[in-house]
Amino acid sequence: MKRVKCQLPTVRIILTVLLFLCFSMDTSLLKAQDSTATAPVEKKKLYTKNTFNGNLLIDNQSVMVPIKGTFEFYIQHRFGVISNGFTDFFGIYSGANMRLSASYVPIKNLQIGFGSTNDRMQVDGNIKYALLRQTKDWKMPVSVTFYGNAAMDTRAKNSSLPIVTTSDRFSYFSQLIVASKVCDYFSIQVAPSISYYNNVPAYTDDKGLIQPTLKNQHVALSVAGKLKLSEGMSLLLNYDQPLTQHPMNNPHPNLSAALDMNTSGHDFQITFGNYGYLLQQDNNILNQNDFTQSQYCIGFNISRLWNF
Amino acid sequence: MKRRILQIGAVLTVALVCASFTLLQTKPWVVPEKAAKTSNAVKTSAASVSEGKALWSQHCSSCHGKTGLGDGSKAAQLKTTPPDFTKASFQSQSDGSLFYKVSEGRDDMPNFKKKLPEADDIWNLVNFMRTLKK
Repeated sequence: MKRVKCQLPTVRIILTVLLFLCFSMDTSLLKAQDSTATAPVEKKKLYTKNTFNGNLLIDNQSVMVPIKGTFEFYIQHRFGVISNGFTDFFGIYSGANMRLSASYVPIKNLQIGFGSTNDRMQVDGNIKYALLRQTKDWKMPVSVTFYGNAAMDTRAKNSSLPIVTTSDRFSYFSQLIVASKVCDYFSIQVAPSISYYNNVPAYTDDKGLIQPTLKNQHVALSVAGKLKLSEGMSLLLNYDQPLTQHPMNNPHPNLSAALDMNTSGHDFQITFGNYGYLLQQDNNILNQNDFTQSQYCIGFNISRLWNF
Repeated sequence: MKRRILQIGAVLTVALVCASFTLLQTKPWVVPEKAAKTSNAVKTSAASVSEGKALWSQHCSSCHGKTGLGDGSKAAQLKTTPPDFTKASFQSQSDGSLFYKVSEGRDDMPNFKKKLPEADDIWNLVNFMRTLKK
């Protein structure tokens, strides 16, 4: 008797997938056909609230995506380094990086935003999507959110800028944010990220070859926590570790803290940390402020939110 | 003539003062019967009161005060004086009435149905408001 052999790899793959689907199928579908089975009492899924108080977590994004219909406007400032002391009043009068931005949640779990910063006159579009939400019964112990942005340097082209084509103006940032509200007083967040610059600084070596000082791609890891001090006030702590090694000018890690105060319509953070830029990719790749040299910057994040 | 002007001035002042007192009186807030009779969907518990307290601190205490006395930092700027939630006149209202007022709002009191779209959150707030009774 001749055995029928499944020779085509495609057919094998399809069969494997079908078998997997059969075994992994929700058993409730099978139960539905059993008239003797008692209908299970459906328990309402309760999600953990206020893992963090707002969208911003010092220089990073928090895991939070506001409820549908929330419109939020942000003003962010990062002043100069404090190491000059009274000369520029701890950096406050030495000039500041500023960012004005807004975000809106058009559908549940999805936020879209737009911002602009005075640093290189960059504008950015961003997107944030809540993939998973922590439940109160801890059946789902973490919340997971994706955040991504694309930024464009909008300065006018001139010979001193390394901008040749339009694509040279763009940089990107993607981050997977995993967070858990451990108890009412403490939340923790871990967020690996990838930053990408289409164009990086370069120099011409002795042989006349162009050598980049930085790689285009940079991987980093952020760890942050919230400690609730009172109902309206929390202490935020954050550490960013660069993971990619660059040919030159390796970015320094970032150590930061903030006092977070929030009300029904506002979230206010007074920040203190090494990062001086306001776009995540700039901070991750370009940060040269070193905490061992006490190169910290004072700053603040203010947000006002409305619900439509 | 001068005396007559003074008399008219005095009458007008008294009338104005009386009118302002009338305006300051809290106008009744009628709650639809169906809403007033709605029973509380969240049983009072330590967890519910704790969640209600967190929401109170974030959304309510700036006007109504930390303990519901109506002495929040923004209270003085309001056109309507927030009532004292510790008094029996407030606490005698049904849970359904309190839910309706939080949800719908009126004048200075914002509506919270968009900010707190989950009914359980407002019921938690109602449960916390009950603890303000003295």
